[in-house]
Amino acid sequence: MEKMTNAESESNRDRRRNGQGSPAGKVLVAGLAGLAVALFLNSSALLADATRQPDGTGRSVALAVWRPIESVASSLGLTWPRATVERLLGRSEVEQAITLLLEKIEVVATSEKDDRVTSSVQEEQEPREVPGEELRRSLKPNWDADNPFQLWVTGDSMVRFFGDTLVSLAETSTMVQATSEPVLSSGLSRPDFFDWPTRLAEIMTKHDPDAVVIILGGNDAQNIRAGDGEWLERFNEAWLAEYRRRIGTVMDLVTSDADRVLLWVGQPPMREEGFDQRMQLLNNLYQVEAAERDRVQYVDLRGLFTDSSGNYSRYLPDSAGKLVDVRLTDGVHLSHWGGQWLSALLLRELRRSPNVDELWVR
Amino acid sequence: MLFPTFAFGLFFVVVFVLNWLTRPHPTVWRAVIFGSSIFFYGWWNWRFVILLLWAIGSNWFAGNKINSCRLRGAQDGVRAWTSIAIASDLTLLGVFKYYDFFAVELSNLLGMGNAVPILELTLPVGISFFTFQAMSYVIDLRRGVIEPMKFLDFAVYLSFFPQLVAGPIVRASEMAPQIAKRPDPRRVASAEAFHLILRGLFKKVVVSSWLASNLVDGVFADPQGHSSLDVLFGVYGYAIQIYADFSGYTDIAIGVALLLGFRFPINFDRPYSALSLRDFWRRWHITLSSWLRDYLYIPLGGNRGQNSDMYRNLLITMLLGGLWHGSTWNFVIWGAIHGVALIIERSLPTERIHPVVRWALTFHVVCFAWIFFRADSVSAASDVLSAIIGSSGDAKVLNAGLIFLVLASIGVQFVTKSASARMGSWMNRRPVLIQGIAFGMGLVVIDTFGPEGIAPFIYFQF
Repeated sequence: MEKMTNAESESNRDRRRNGQGSPAGKVLVAGLAGLAVALFLNSSALLADATRQPDGTGRSVALAVWRPIESVASSLGLTWPRATVERLLGRSEVEQAITLLLEKIEVVATSEKDDRVTSSVQEEQEPREVPGEELRRSLKPNWDADNPFQLWVTGDSMVRFFGDTLVSLAETSTMVQATSEPVLSSGLSRPDFFDWPTRLAEIMTKHDPDAVVIILGGNDAQNIRAGDGEWLERFNEAWLAEYRRRIGTVMDLVTSDADRVLLWVGQPPMREEGFDQRMQLLNNLYQVEAAERDRVQYVDLRGLFTDSSGNYSRYLPDSAGKLVDVRLTDGVHLSHWGGQWLSALLLRELRRSPNVDELWVR
Repeated sequence: MLFPTFAFGLFFVVVFVLNWLTRPHPTVWRAVIFGSSIFFYGWWNWRFVILLLWAIGSNWFAGNKINSCRLRGAQDGVRAWTSIAIASDLTLLGVFKYYDFFAVELSNLLGMGNAVPILELTLPVGISFFTFQAMSYVIDLRRGVIEPMKFLDFAVYLSFFPQLVAGPIVRASEMAPQIAKRPDPRRVASAEAFHLILRGLFKKVVVSSWLASNLVDGVFADPQGHSSLDVLFGVYGYAIQIYADFSGYTDIAIGVALLLGFRFPINFDRPYSALSLRDFWRRWHITLSSWLRDYLYIPLGGNRGQNSDMYRNLLITMLLGGLWHGSTWNFVIWGAIHGVALIIERSLPTERIHPVVRWALTFHVVCFAWIFFRADSVSAASDVLSAIIGSSGDAKVLNAGLIFLVLASIGVQFVTKSASARMGSWMNRRPVLIQGIAFGMGLVVIDTFGPEGIAPFIYFQF
């Protein structure tokens, strides 16, 4: 019997050496062993992914699975290879920098509601009172090629589809320097994934732009975690209050400099009805918060991206009446043409102020 | 369901176990694989399972009719049922993939705005692949080169999840014997499969995603804002990106099928080492180019007749091949560039040209065509071309790492097949448990070097 087993084993080995494969059962065990190795070595990343998931059953299940695995892996020292590689790639340094900035913002944020980030600025400079329609007249008109008008275009993945075009359009003037910075999958609901106030504070401090264009919201229709750690259900009263507070924080942070304006771009109409309704609800919040601030202008996109019946359409007539596709097949993002239309609209909005308009006239 | 996800990993472990447990029971096994494939497809959108079921039912029924008419010698019946089946398949494609394109073009031609209603239907994933497989089945039956398949066999063939959404386009003549014959459960080609899956994941998750996010997307979004060199490398980068993306998917599909006891035909064979356009099409998306050759080019007349007939057939084939990829003028132009280049190549004594020059010409014609393939519109493609010729933009993205990645990816195409096979056979010589652990460690390395979040495979949209 033993002899037969040995012979069988030898024959299997030969087959394997000759590239004829292995028994399915052993392949299953080997595959599962490989997956187990991958899960343990990768457990910190899997746990981080689970943490970033939208609140709900999927997230709870994922956390329940990955937490103990990560805990065991890290106590056995199995997470260090990946951590080491990420450190070598410089990823952990970025995280560290963000954490430091976050702490800095939190120190400022411990004071009262919306004036937290602006307080230090206000101490140095009394903000000018600027009536709504006059807002951009307050901008300094002394830009030239050496001291260009700084435009910063930022937000979620939507920016990928118009940001660079707007930059190109704006930079047709030598007195304008523009930057586009999309952060995919980001929003105001999940600062644990990407912290916009922190990043914006960094941009305002380092680059001091004259105008900022922001579009956010596409990823925000999800439960959010309040400061006390409690999860707030999407669109309930507490959620709306918290989300408005976050919008206000960002708007105040950007306009903390009295010479800076903010164009807050609303979400365009979406193909999927439920998603469209959710985005319209968010748009209402942006509009209300913008209306409460002098140097924030809400840019509504419904008129630009709806058909004659006021509905979403992928194809819309251009100025010559020719139908062009303005949206991508996902029913969410903008196509090349859509990006051009939006960029032209935003540039028009920027140029409404006489001083700014001169940048492209001179 | 995307291959490089945890959900697919879990799904596949279950299917792997069920596959080998039920293999001795043919009917149960067929039901399991068919059910798994439907689950895989429905994971994305359940509503479109109906389309897949329609394609299975209608083509199987028509296939049986074609076969019985052929056996009776009723040629009219053969022709009629073949036409019905192909019309049904083309209607599916036409409604979901091409209707809006033609409606918009017609409206613009008439100058009447929304003169023709636009449907704006979601494109069902993989529709171009399974309809082409279905058409090859009925045409092969008409030609009498295959036997009709039993219903469950045909359902398994058309819906088989490893190749359902992005190919390779497998012929019934290749799949039917493998469905009928029970593979030896003691000889699963694990080493080759693990090697292919890892290679595919590396191409997709690391090479393709990295090039897309660090070079290609930025260049194509704003070519005028980049330097000419940036844009040129952006185009080279896209050539590598789409190869890594699509051949990566195919590698994974072939590896997954191998673990279930199936062997798919190869779909890519180092296409950027080609010395001519003809050579390129023998190496790029081989299952599509051979489909177009067998079911379109040859029936049109192929190389028969005068040169002008052959050129016409080439151009038609390449134009329709372009349109297969998508319903925009850019894909038509992409096909036209290949068609015209193939005609020029055939009409000139290109073999007299030095191989290095021939390679450079071939590669750059392919890259030139990729600009139209990648750009959102014809004008966007023109922007890219004019930026290559003379852009006033500053160099923004190009660095030594990117240049190395692009050049190394092109250089790898010249590594001989045997060298590549030697790399694969290293795994083959290891005990299966070591293979599994090496596979797991490979997954970690790939995930570590890949960016966060995986974009869908480019060829899903076709």
